[in-house]
Amino acid sequence: MSDKKIKGSCLCGEVAYAAGSLRIFQSCHCSRCRKNSGSAYAANLYGDPKEFTWTKGSEQVGVYVHEHAKHFSTAFCKKCGSALPWKSKNGKVMVIPAGTLDEHPGIEPLQNLYWGSRAPWYKSAADLPKHEGLPVKEK
Amino acid sequence: MSDEKINGSCLCGEVSYVITGNIGIFQYCHCSRCRKFTGSAHAANLFVTPEQFAWIKGSEWVGVYVPEHTRHFATAFCKQCGSALPWKSKSGKVVVIPAGTLDQHPGIEPMQNIFWGSRAPWYKSAADLPAHERLPVSGS
Repeated sequence: MSDKKIKGSCLCGEVAYAAGSLRIFQSCHCSRCRKNSGSAYAANLYGDPKEFTWTKGSEQVGVYVHEHAKHFSTAFCKKCGSALPWKSKNGKVMVIPAGTLDEHPGIEPLQNLYWGSRAPWYKSAADLPKHEGLPVKEK
Repeated sequence: MSDEKINGSCLCGEVSYVITGNIGIFQYCHCSRCRKFTGSAHAANLFVTPEQFAWIKGSEWVGVYVPEHTRHFATAFCKQCGSALPWKSKSGKVVVIPAGTLDQHPGIEPMQNIFWGSRAPWYKSAADLPAHERLPVSGS
C-alpha cells in the first residue's frame, strides 16, 4: 500500500497532485501553521519529494519561502488560495496539507506538534457540540 | 469589551486587519470546502459584521475567490504567502475571520463543530493524540 500514489487537489480544481511514500501524519499547532491555514492547527503528511508530482496546474502554484525559517515554506493556489504541498527548505520532505487530499491516505494523525504554541483560544473539537450540517438557528 | 479592537495578520505580514467586536459565533467547520481551503482537518472561523471589520494594511495583496456554485462561501488569501484571510459571505452580511490569523485572543472561544457529518475520513480528535510541546524527538 505504501507504493500507492494518493491524489489531492485545491478547492477550485485548477491544481492537482499525486504524492507517494506518505509516512508521517501530524497536527502542527505552531504559529506559522496557524497563520497559513487560518485554522487552529495544520494537519500535515510528510512524503518523499521524489515521489511527488503536480498532475495539473503547476503554473497556478504560488510559493512563499519564509526567510527566517529553518524548514518552513508555504504553497497555495493562486486562484482560490487553498493550501498546497510545499517542499521543506532542505528539499528532503514534501509537506502535504491533509485537507487537500481527495482520498484516505492510508495513515491517520498520530500526534500533535508544538502543543506549547497552540492558540490561546484553542478548544478541542471533541469537547464541543457536533452538528452534522448547519445548526438550526435559535431565532 | 465587545468593541475592543483585535488585530489579525497573515504569515508574511503584508496584510493586516482589525475587528471591533463579533457576532458571537466562533466555530470549527469540517465541510469539504473549508478542509480544501485551509488544508487542515477543519476551519476555525469567527464571524463579524462588515461594519466590525477593516483592512489596516496591504489590502492590495488580498486575493479573493468567489466560487460560482456556493450560497455563502468564498475565500480570501494573501497573494504573497498564501495565508487564509477574512472573506465576505456572498450575501455581504458577515465577514468570516480565520481565527488562526488573529494576533490576539478574540474574547470568545470555539463553541461548536459544524458539518461534522462531512468531516475528513481520516479525522482524529487532537485530544486523543500525544501532544509534544515542540518537535518530538525523532523516532528513527
